[in-house]
Amino acid sequence: MSEVPEDLSYTKDHEWVLVEDDGNVKVGITDYAQDSLSDVVFVELPEVGDEFSKDDAMAVAESVKAASDIYAPISGKIVALNEKLEESPELVNESPYDFGWMVIMKPQGEITGLLDATSYRESID
Amino acid sequence: MTLNHTPLFKRHVKLGAKMADFAGWEMPIQYKSIVAEHKSVRERVGIFDVSHMGQIFVEGRQTIDFLSYVTTWDMNRQKDNDCRYCHILNHDGKIIDDVIVYTLSSEEYMIVPNASMIDTIFPWLLEHSSKFDVRIKDFSKDFFCLALQGPDAPRLLGQHLNTSVNPFTLVRNGDTIVSGTGYTGESGCEIIGPYSEAGFHWDSLVDMGAEPAGLGARDTLRLEKGFLLSGQDFDGTQTTLEAGYSWVVDWNHDFIGKKSLESQKPDSYPKLCGVILNDRGVLRPGFQIYHKGAPVSKLTSGSLSPSIRKGIGLAYLDLPLNSDITVEVRGNHLNGRVVRLPFL
Repeated sequence: MSEVPEDLSYTKDHEWVLVEDDGNVKVGITDYAQDSLSDVVFVELPEVGDEFSKDDAMAVAESVKAASDIYAPISGKIVALNEKLEESPELVNESPYDFGWMVIMKPQGEITGLLDATSYRESID
Repeated sequence: MTLNHTPLFKRHVKLGAKMADFAGWEMPIQYKSIVAEHKSVRERVGIFDVSHMGQIFVEGRQTIDFLSYVTTWDMNRQKDNDCRYCHILNHDGKIIDDVIVYTLSSEEYMIVPNASMIDTIFPWLLEHSSKFDVRIKDFSKDFFCLALQGPDAPRLLGQHLNTSVNPFTLVRNGDTIVSGTGYTGESGCEIIGPYSEAGFHWDSLVDMGAEPAGLGARDTLRLEKGFLLSGQDFDGTQTTLEAGYSWVVDWNHDFIGKKSLESQKPDSYPKLCGVILNDRGVLRPGFQIYHKGAPVSKLTSGSLSPSIRKGIGLAYLDLPLNSDITVEVRGNHLNGRVVRLPFL
């Protein structure tokens, strides 16, 4: 069974979103997504300052067998990257909700269209 | 189309393997992690179900003459219980398949072709056997094959069957053949025998600590060693010389494709080379390679090497070793260079 923490929001494409105290949002991929990918060996992150609209491909997680796009869960600007993933992409597998986070975005406009934990859990059942 | 199942299919499913179609067979690609399975084989011991591979038996008075004619190797040089890796070529010298030929006796041989090529190789052998006193039978769906690979494999084989086997030789135990072969570049063996006995060997070796490993790890293991993948690194359009495998050719005998190989002048054709990325990234088959800004070739294989943690691949290139190249990955050009094989 995949872990789906209650305090996060989700997309149907298996990204998770945490709204931080300063209003910025931290983004990563879910336990379900890392398990389906397995063996993340390379993460291609965007650059700080890049702007994305919701659902734009903004990063790529590559396993031994395949490359998967990671989509922007919200519209906004990249303000920070998890630079540890360059040396240790396996953090995405080992700690998808914590040390394996990918980017922090500054939202543009209202955050809409995300799933809560219950709805996301239903979508992967 | 329904997919074929090996006799170990239920065991793979029970272990939670990710199963996928490989040449018409539903095979385990990975159990838990390709990287972990890869490392187990390099550092300890892994076990692969490769029962999809073929077993074609040739017997009769002219077996040696026949197999010398249809392969790149002169079987007169083989002794009883020898195994030989060689190529089966078409009349243009292009590789149809790479096979291992087992000398069971001077009048009984076994050929192990790739799963995807059994339906090509078997009729090809029949078609070219009319002038020879031989009988050819396909037992591919009656025999399992397990590959026990890794530095600990010889110890486990001793514990399991109280036997040992030297590289590229075989020992027979009733209907079961144990050979010093595999496709990972590590020590180890392959065990071939009747379907009904597959479970016994698998269970015993897994109990002794062999880690089940899937075709995903088999691919990264063989790629690090520069071993060819049938249908990918050769697809019926490359010769043995282009693949860089002249060592599998015995020039002192007549064989199908020989004249074409002899007409290939050295250094007049692209050869299979290693490509390694200096930049971070993962290589995939089909990615375009550029030299001095111009497209020169495409990767036939590619992945990220779990051992050296760099993007590696194979490509037919007409460039000197150490040439700087770039590989286009999602619109970006990543820097790399041409290297001698193997990578590891």
